[in-house]
Amino acid sequence: MMPTTVPAARINPWQPDPVVVRETIAEAPDVTTYRLAFRDDDRAASFSFRPGQFGMLYAPGIGEVPIGISGSCPAERTWSFTVRAMGNTTRALARLQAGDTLGLRAPFGSAWPLDVCEGADVVIVAGGLGLPPLRPAIHKIIEDRRLYGRVTLIYGSRTPDTLIYVREYDDWSRQQIEVLTTVDRADLSWKGNVGVVPLLLDYLQPLVPERTVVMTCGPEVMMRYTVRSAVARGIPIERIWASTERNMQCAIGLCGHCQFGPEFICKDGPVFRYDRIEPWLKVEGL
Amino acid sequence: MMEKQAIDDLLRQLGFTAGLPDPVLDELASVSAVVRFPAGATIFREETKNPFVYVVERGHVGLDMHVPTRGRVRILSVGPGEMLAWSALLGDSVMTVSAVALEDTQAVAICGSTLAKLCSTNHEAGYLLMRRMATSLAQRLTATRLQLLDLFAEPTVAASAGLREE
Amino acid sequence: MPSQTIPVERSLRWLPKDELQSLFDAMTARGYTIVGPTIDQEAIVYDRITSVDDLPRGWTDVQAPGSYRLKRRDDEALFGYVVGPHSWKRFLFPPLATVATADRTAEGWTMGTPPDDAPKYAFLGVRACELAAIRVQDRTFMEGPYVDPIYAARRQQALIVAVNCTQAAATCFCTSMGTGPRATAGFDLALTELPAGFVLETGSERGAEIVADLETTDADAELLNQAEAARQQAVDQITRRLDTEGIRDLLLGNLNHPRWNDVASRCLSCTNCTMVCPTCFCSSVKDVTDLQGDHVERQRQWDSCFNFDFSYMNGGVVRDQIRSRYRQWLTHKLASWIDQFGTSGCVGCGRCITWCPVGIDLTEEVAAIRESS
Repeated sequence: MMPTTVPAARINPWQPDPVVVRETIAEAPDVTTYRLAFRDDDRAASFSFRPGQFGMLYAPGIGEVPIGISGSCPAERTWSFTVRAMGNTTRALARLQAGDTLGLRAPFGSAWPLDVCEGADVVIVAGGLGLPPLRPAIHKIIEDRRLYGRVTLIYGSRTPDTLIYVREYDDWSRQQIEVLTTVDRADLSWKGNVGVVPLLLDYLQPLVPERTVVMTCGPEVMMRYTVRSAVARGIPIERIWASTERNMQCAIGLCGHCQFGPEFICKDGPVFRYDRIEPWLKVEGL
Repeated sequence: MMEKQAIDDLLRQLGFTAGLPDPVLDELASVSAVVRFPAGATIFREETKNPFVYVVERGHVGLDMHVPTRGRVRILSVGPGEMLAWSALLGDSVMTVSAVALEDTQAVAICGSTLAKLCSTNHEAGYLLMRRMATSLAQRLTATRLQLLDLFAEPTVAASAGLREE
Repeated sequence: MPSQTIPVERSLRWLPKDELQSLFDAMTARGYTIVGPTIDQEAIVYDRITSVDDLPRGWTDVQAPGSYRLKRRDDEALFGYVVGPHSWKRFLFPPLATVATADRTAEGWTMGTPPDDAPKYAFLGVRACELAAIRVQDRTFMEGPYVDPIYAARRQQALIVAVNCTQAAATCFCTSMGTGPRATAGFDLALTELPAGFVLETGSERGAEIVADLETTDADAELLNQAEAARQQAVDQITRRLDTEGIRDLLLGNLNHPRWNDVASRCLSCTNCTMVCPTCFCSSVKDVTDLQGDHVERQRQWDSCFNFDFSYMNGGVVRDQIRSRYRQWLTHKLASWIDQFGTSGCVGCGRCITWCPVGIDLTEEVAAIRESS
């Protein structure tokens, strides 16, 4: 008995594409950015992504790991992924050098709502490795800066030496992006903010709440308290977006691992308007 | 020395005091002064008495605690709109942290004991000020808890031992 | 190319019992690998079969929460039982399959898709609940933004010969889920067994084409009435019920209900329910290499949300309590599935109740939450 739909194209969504490492950039202890290029010219020519999407990096013989796409250089047809080495696969990736090959399946998932940001003030709140998936959104905003109002980046990390993309902050500032960084702990050589990320949002001035859009990515608890601060400041919850995380394996909604309530993080997310996921974030061990 | 009216206006804008009723602001302004600290100046020292509650108008202040063999550890920094030295009102005025201006800083200094007397004689004002103080401290408590959770820490070996990695 | 159309008229024919082998032969002649019910390890399972003699003639199953036994019938019925530990998902969604390969070359890694010699299956003996389950899995594997090529290749070729239940097990509740016991759609052929033979219902052009090869006669009114009575017996024997009224909001609105603690104290998190469930689809992929590490196969295998590290992330497990894992399974199956796929994930086959070692009955769990919420 025939099912009702038959796929016309014979594509295997499980199969990675070979990519070559063009460059590795040490961002912080154990954190590296890989600039990757597809080996196949057609794939390289046709690939595109939207800020917020992720890919599955594949270390053959070891495994795959979901990593947000953290940058792009269309002129060179390379795409960047920033990875913290903490498990088997990411430690294998940490051994890669320029010229090495690995696998990539991409792009997957939902994107940041840059269309909603047009004409609005934008507050980007990132923590730790939550900044990489937001970085392409920052780049896109810079590309068409006049489309957006006030743009602020609040970025927190554990210590000053774990802040990433530091070399870009001056450039971002020059492009009218206010960059506010903070750390959880520091020695006295650090003259910047010390304290958790939501505090910077609590005291951000000026702020026109009805005109503001918040995009946040970082540890779940950090995001929950960031949203609390945003809502306390009067920012409507429909103007807050968060990028969530769960165990993502297939990235195509078939393996079941990434479910969060009724949402598949890999295909319904990872970027969600906050009110959609708020009920699930409140449940312990969901 | 700033005029009382000017201090009044300032208190209206600063996060910690904004929105309080006029009579209360008036009372506060009469026991406040605007003070300036150049970058690097110590505002008060841990374990010493400091009689003033401060509300930062502009600038940046680091709050440090001293731990033997660790030296001075910065546990928090505060900026415009934020309050510091709550012990001057609620405690015995002995500071629990050292405060140092990280950049040129201007703040409103309010005499803690006078403020305490105001609260006990004018209960309505007292209630409102204590609410503000409680809210500010609750916010700081939550922030401290988040710092305690160490959310950006790398998972420990113990946590991941025995589990499948990626 | 397999037919996609369903004939307007569902023709009904009569196939005498001793002609059933010719159905096997007709399917074999068309190159089908026939899979059907047969006895193995004291259960009726689905496996490759070639003749009528492989069928569990004269056997039935007795099922209860945590219990499955075969029992001899006092007749020679070939399909006188319901469903066992296997479902057709093990053929459409194989427990182990290679989904991609990687090979190390002088210029670096290359990646590919292994050739898939997808068997051309004929499923003989598919129950109504199982037709519904196949339809549920069709939505997951083929109607989302990504199509699974392994499922699609097997599904497109599969010939479905349904069998209408003429009895029900104590654990069946297909009537509550609207999935049976009568097969109404999704089959090429459907059989209703009577002592002397089968009423044969054609469900597609593929089915009609096979019927044309068989020695059938008209199914007269008398036979049709007997078939109807036999099917009604299955309806009448169903005693278990699941009240699905507002079930999505009931479960997703009670995620902190104390009943989850209660069921967690009984549940062993053994994964049996997910293995026997005909709609569960969770899997994980592991890399398997040759000794030199130059050839790699990405092997997909069945996984279960009850496995402890199923929700592992960043050095810890999100659902580290049995309470969380049981809640995930049940709320997904009966509630979230509706959000995700537009239907319930449960077809009322009762397998999870039978094969749970401690006899947890999800109809009872839902009723308990409903009663005290």
